[in-house]
This record gives sequence, C-alpha cells and structure tokens, in this order.
Amino acid sequence: MFDGNDVPPSDAALIRRTAAGESSAFDILVRRHQAAVRRFTRELAGDPAQAEDALLETFLAAWRGSARRRDDSVSVLTWLLTLARQALTRQNLGRQPAVQAAENTPLRELAQAAGWGRSGLAAESTGRQALETAFAALNPADREILVLRDLEGLAEEEAAAVIGTSEAVVRARLHRARLRLLAKLREGGSDGG
Amino acid sequence: MEGERLVAGLHCGEVLADLSAALDGRLTAERIRRIEDHVRDCEACKRFAGELTASVRALREALGEPPADPQAETRLLERLQERLREETQPHG
Repeated sequence: MFDGNDVPPSDAALIRRTAAGESSAFDILVRRHQAAVRRFTRELAGDPAQAEDALLETFLAAWRGSARRRDDSVSVLTWLLTLARQALTRQNLGRQPAVQAAENTPLRELAQAAGWGRSGLAAESTGRQALETAFAALNPADREILVLRDLEGLAEEEAAAVIGTSEAVVRARLHRARLRLLAKLREGGSDGG
Repeated sequence: MEGERLVAGLHCGEVLADLSAALDGRLTAERIRRIEDHVRDCEACKRFAGELTASVRALREALGEPPADPQAETRLLERLQERLREETQPHG
C-alpha cells in the first residue's frame, strides 16, 4: 500500500514526494490532516462555506509551497494550521476587536465566573454534550487556542507559530480560555442558581 | 475571592494565575512545588485546581479527535484535483 512497505510514510517524506510532483503522496497528506485542519477552519470561520474555502486554500498553498518548505523542525500539522490561519485572515473575518476586548477582563473576574472560591462543579457538567455546548458558546479566539493546545496537542511554541505571537501570549490566552470554558460549564450545569 | 489566603508563601491569586501553566508543566520545579504546597493546605484552591484540571481532561477526552466526515474529505479531494488540474494546464 505504501511503496510495498507496511509502515506509513512520514509527513516529511510525503512533503518531499509532493514537492517532486507526486500527487498520490499529496493525497495521503491531505487525507491524514484534513480533519484536523477542517476543525480548525470551522471553529474560526464565519460559516461552513468559508471554512471549506479556507481548507481548500490551505492545501493548495501546501501543494504550491511544498518545494519551498525547508524547516523540518516545524511539524507538518503546525505548518498546515499556519497556512489555514493565513487563509482565514485573507478572508478578512474581522474578529480582532472582539478578541482584544475580551483580553481586558481581569483574571480574577474570569476565575470567579468559573467558580473560583465557590462550591463545586456538578459531575454532569463535564459530560460530552455539556462540553460541546460550552465549547461552542466560547468566542472564536478561545476556541482557537483550545483547539491548538488542548485538542490538537500542539506545543506552546507551535501554537505561537500558528497564531504569529509569543509563547507568553499563548500561555495567557490558554489560561483565560480554560477559565471561560469552566465558566460556561458551570452556567450550563447550574439550575439558574 | 473572599477569604483569600497566604499559604506556603503564595496568595490564592498567585496560584490562580499559574494554574494552567502548572497543569502544562510550564513552570520551574520550584514554582510547581510551592503551588502544590499551597493547594495541599488551601481547600478553596484545591477544589478549583481540581475542577480546572478535570474540565481540561474531559475536553481532551470528549473532543480530542476531530470529527470524521468521509463525504467532506471526498469533496475536498475532488475540489483540489480540479484546481490543480486548472493550474497545471497550459493556458491557451
């Protein structure tokens, strides 16, 4: 299946073969990473059609850029997510003001909404349905950092590379996003009291 | 929060600020030890740190895998092939 070998080819090998014009290698690369990139674009785009367009542009950029990709220290998924974010930015989604406003909220205020200094969270609040609802209720910037760090498992420096910011900013944004998720879980799990 | 305490040389607010970084192992061993000392002796921080940790773990377990959508994957590959064909065809 894979060149007569049972071991799947590495991402780096697929990139090299893609750069040489081998479309079957590119197909494997697309199949391997499209679900992760699609989730990222869906969480950030304004609607599903925009997300699909950004996804398409991401892989077209990967095809065109495969020969120029020199830095193997950056994982292919990190590279693809960086391309996806660039595609989304080109769509001019205009979400920066909301992100900046949210970041001015004092940490203690976020923490108190998340239950800091209050009684415990109900166990049912961390069920799958509750998590999906709470996650969907977050702003796109929070969903972005949670997808990158907690769902895709990117390292802090990789997430910083995707977003184009510092590791310190990633760390601060992640903490705030987690607090807001916990606050949403608490809201959803409470009976209004 | 009310009744914020100084435990193990750290205030509750300092522990709050570092909780995610501690969870991710992004602090020095000494800082993590001090936070653990505080949390051990501060019921409010122990409960909150436990809830934050549990919610992050639950998120990773419940939503960690991106949803599979075979039809969307096929559509993407078809659109890609179409676009790449257009790009590689000589203009005439």
